[in-house]
Order: sequence, then structure tokens, then C-alpha cells
Amino acid sequence: MGVDFQSFIEGLTTAIQPMNLLWVLIGGFLGTVVGMLPGLGPATAVAVLIPITFGMDSTSALVLMAAIYYGAMYGGSRSSILLNTPGDGSAIAATFDGYPMTQQGRAGQALTISAIASLIGGTVAIIGFILLAKPLASFALDFGPAEYFLLLVFTLSAIVSLSKGNMVKGFISMSIGLLLSTVGIDLQTGVYRFTFDIPQLSEGIDFLVVIIGVYAVGEVLYNFLNIDDIKKEKSKVGKKGITREQWKSSKWPMFRQGPIGFLIGVLPGAGGSIASMLSYTTEQQLSKNPDKFGKGAIEGVAAPESSNNAASVGAFIPLLTMGIPGSGTTAVILGALIMLGLQPGPLLFENNPDTVWTLVNSMFIGNLFLVVINILLIGLLVRILDTPPKILYPLILVLAFIGTYTLSYSIIDFYILVIFGVIGVVMKLLKFPVAPLILGVIVGSDMEQNFRKSIVAHDNFINILFASPITITLLIMTVLSIAYPFIVEWVKKLKQGRA
Amino acid sequence: MARLIVPSFFITIGIVYLVLTFNLPRSRTGDPTAPLYFPLLIGGILVLFSIIYFVQEWRKRDEKFEAFKALFVGRTPFIIVSTLIMIFVYTFLFERIGFLFSTIIFLTALLFIVNGRKPWIKNILISVLFSVVFWYAFSELLNVSLP
Repeated sequence: MGVDFQSFIEGLTTAIQPMNLLWVLIGGFLGTVVGMLPGLGPATAVAVLIPITFGMDSTSALVLMAAIYYGAMYGGSRSSILLNTPGDGSAIAATFDGYPMTQQGRAGQALTISAIASLIGGTVAIIGFILLAKPLASFALDFGPAEYFLLLVFTLSAIVSLSKGNMVKGFISMSIGLLLSTVGIDLQTGVYRFTFDIPQLSEGIDFLVVIIGVYAVGEVLYNFLNIDDIKKEKSKVGKKGITREQWKSSKWPMFRQGPIGFLIGVLPGAGGSIASMLSYTTEQQLSKNPDKFGKGAIEGVAAPESSNNAASVGAFIPLLTMGIPGSGTTAVILGALIMLGLQPGPLLFENNPDTVWTLVNSMFIGNLFLVVINILLIGLLVRILDTPPKILYPLILVLAFIGTYTLSYSIIDFYILVIFGVIGVVMKLLKFPVAPLILGVIVGSDMEQNFRKSIVAHDNFINILFASPITITLLIMTVLSIAYPFIVEWVKKLKQGRA
Repeated sequence: MARLIVPSFFITIGIVYLVLTFNLPRSRTGDPTAPLYFPLLIGGILVLFSIIYFVQEWRKRDEKFEAFKALFVGRTPFIIVSTLIMIFVYTFLFERIGFLFSTIIFLTALLFIVNGRKPWIKNILISVLFSVVFWYAFSELLNVSLP
């Protein structure tokens, strides 16, 4: 099956080193805290906490970032369940039944099942990762520039067509991101492009500054807009234990939706939001009494939480094996990895197997930790959630500035940071999806290099598209991903016509 | 008609970008136009989708355009403008008076803006405490050199 047991064991031994265990614990905790804040999601959590990883060796940094990521996923469900305010798309489905459970005084049970479901989903997905990652990496070794270029085209179009809001806005957002990536000296020819004779621009716009600007400064400023109306509900957590009955009704949804979530997570663009929504609706359809859903059904929390967490592990596969981020959050992690000097891609498995397998093992340990944190410390976490956001948002803003300063020790970046913060707010107000922009900025330069190499190899643009069976497949997938929303619309109309 | 401003803005950016692309210096090595290919592709995509966006908005021209309304409700304009001003003050002070003091000032100001004047003792205590914690965590534990 391509599983490398020796590396796996080596990874395990690295992962259980006290320092790495500590990083998992810290990352998971910090991620949970930021993710719990209403309106802030995993992308913000990772973006704002990136500077912590500087000066660490790359393996520990990756371990920490992953811990922040799924910590934030856990935290996101917390604010969905307790406050009905999901931090990002993947936490929306948890509000459907989680919040009604809170209203009925059963928040404790909702939080417990969400933690257990996340553990099951995460574990299933880690097994999936172990089985799938190596073969996929070897497959990706055969990719040439044309294949890579089309893979990136497919990823971008998938993220555009699946992200919220309309597709036209998504493509505009994506082009702006790609446009920003072309600023600076051209790597191949040394030609200065779009630098307007400003020396700071010759090295290009640092995508980490863009990320922190949009995700941290932008999100905080956006939350400032209605800071006085942020809900604060003193909700009773209630008892945490779940009954045998509840376990029985949520057991299968959790085990079923784990693998589904994982597979969706592997697809670029899809990720947690789609996975959790899909799991919720399929469980509703499978249920004997679907009317319970939306009124505090425990399966309605279990299913999306399991698949959502599985998807977040699945998203690491395209990220690590091909260097393709599938979502805004994984794009942020990719940005940080590049900065740490790790080049994700098929060669990562050849050159740094220890890093990969340490990550896998620590993901499992992290999930265990988080369940313990989340079940035992629910009381404490609820109290953190009670800390007024009015205090926490300014703190995050300060962290964003520190983080930016540590990137290049230059004040100039503060201005770029604020500009992108404001751009982030304006985009949110105009309902432009942010993820395509971030993805564009990060993969832009890679995409251009592959594009130009393939032009040289295949003479012209049309030949690139039909260079190999892989490119043709990717081309078809791109077209399908763009057509997908229209097909859904069409099917809906067809159904309505019949009814 | 206000809603047409945004798409027009993007069309302008796209066109300016394309014009700049055509005026890029030619490469002296290899294919002289190689640095232009990718920007042409992106610029084209941007202009194309901005035009579609323009048409979409044109069809909705009779509906009220309220995307920015949230900016002008209640305390919001005050919070946003003063936060931005404080960011510039912070940027100005950061390297001049050092991380610790500038951060205490910045954080206190932010808390007064956002959290209000009433809990002033709490605001100041939190600012000092967290500035010191951040300073210690980054410069001592993480070896990041801060001014």
C-alpha cells in the first residue's frame, strides 16, 4: 500500500518528544481560543499565530501550525454551538442543531459529541492520509510543468466556483491575487515588473503580509463594524455526559461521515464547508425521523463535526503531496511552509519523510489532546468565550503587527498590512470571496513559472491544454467545476418544474 | 448608479495593468516577450470578468446600493477612523520609542476606542499586562528581536 512503516515509527518517536508534544498542546489551545471568537476562523488563527513558528525547526513549526489549524476548527464549533456565530464556512453546519441544543440547556452534550465526532472523523482521516498520501505523491512525481499549470488552474477554478458569493466576483478576486504575484523582479529574466521604481517592491509583495492583512487586520476591522451588537449569552452548559441512546444514534453518522469528509477534503477547493453541509443533509435524508433535524438532534451535530474535521486532515494531502492548497486556511499554511524553507510537493515525501510522518502522528496526538481539552475544560473555555470580544480583537490586531514586523523587520510592511486590511474589509462588504485572492497571491509565481516552461515545451497555449492525458483530465475537471453551479441551478429548476 | 463604480474600478485596473504589461521592458535573454505572457493572461481574465460584473450590476441599477451602509451606523465610523489613525501613530512610534511602550500606548488607545472609557482601569491593566507578555514571549522565548 505504499505505507512506509519505518518512517511512520520514526515520525512517531519525533512526535512524542516532549517539545513537540508541548507545541501540539500550545497550538491546539491557542487555535481553540482564536477559533472560538465569533467571526474569526482557522485562517485567521493560523495567520496571526504564524510568527510563533519563526525560529523553530521546520518539523516543529509544521506540527504547531497543524495544531493551531485543528484547534481553531474545534474552537469554531464551540462558538457555533454556544453563540450561533460560526467562525468560517466549515462551522456553519454545527449551528443547525448545536445551537438549538444550547437553547434547550444541553450545550454540554453538544460540545461533548462534537469533540468525540471530531476525534473519530480526524482518526478516520489520518488512516486515510497514511494510505493515500504516498501513492499520490509518487503519482505527482510524473507531473511536468503543463500538468502543474493545469492543476493550479483547476484548483483556482474549483475554489472560485465553490466559495460563497458569486463566481464572477470570485474570478475577479482571483485575478487580483495573481496580479499582485507578478509584482517584482521576474525570476527568469530579471525584468522589473510593476515596481513603479519603488525599491521595496522589487522583491515583490510578501504574501504573508497580504495574508495577515486580509485575514487578521481585515477580519478584526470587519468585526469592529458591529462590535456593539455582538451577542453574549450566558448559556448554561448543562451536563456533559451523553446517554447510551444518544451514542447509538450518533455512532454511525460519525463513522459514515468521516471517510466522506476526508475524500471531500482531498479535493482542492471543496474542504470543510462542503463536507459538513453534505454530511448534514445526507444524515438528514438517511434519518428515520428527519423532522428532528434543526431542533437539537444530536446526530445533526455529530455528522458535520466528524466530516468537517476529516476534511481538514484530508486537505493536507494535496497541500503536502503537490503543494496545492485546497482552501484559504491551507493556503495560509502553504505560505508559512514556503517561508520556513519547506517546499511541499512530491519530493517532500522523498526528502523530508520524517517531517511528513511526524506531522501525521502529531495530528493524531493533537486530536486526542483536543478532545481532552474540550471535554474536561469546557467550563474554562466557556469562560474565555465570555471575555468580551472587545478586549480580544484589539489583542489580535496587535499580534498581527508583531507578526508582520518579524517577517522582514521593516515598518514599510505595516503600511502594506493596513492597505490589505482595508481591502479585506471592503471585499467583505461587497461580498467578494477572499480565499481566491489569497490563493492567487500564493500560487501565482509558481503558476507563472510552470506556464512559461510549458509554453517553451509545447509552443503555444492550446498545446499545453492537450499535452497529456493528465492535462486533458484536469481541463475537463476545470470546465466541470466552473459549470457545476449552473448544473445545480438547472437541476433545481427541473425539480421545481416537476413539483 | 453608485453600484457601477466598483465594476468600473476593476475594469480600469485591468486595462491599466494590460497597458503597463505592454510597456514592460523586453527581456535581453531568451524570448524577449516571455515576462509578458502571464500578466497578459491575468489582465485579460480580469477585464473579461469585470465587464461581466459591470453588466450584472447594470441590470440591478434600480436597486438601492447599500453595501457600505454598515460603515455609517452608530459608533462604527468613529471606531474605524480612530483605529486607522492609531495604527499610523503606532507605525510612527514603533521603531522610535521601542516595541514595549508603543504597544502599551497602541493597545490602551484601541481598548479605549473599542471597549469604552468606563472600564479605564481594566483597559490600562490589560494593555500593560499583554504588552509585557507579548514582548517577553517574542523577544525572550522566541528570539525575535523587537525594537
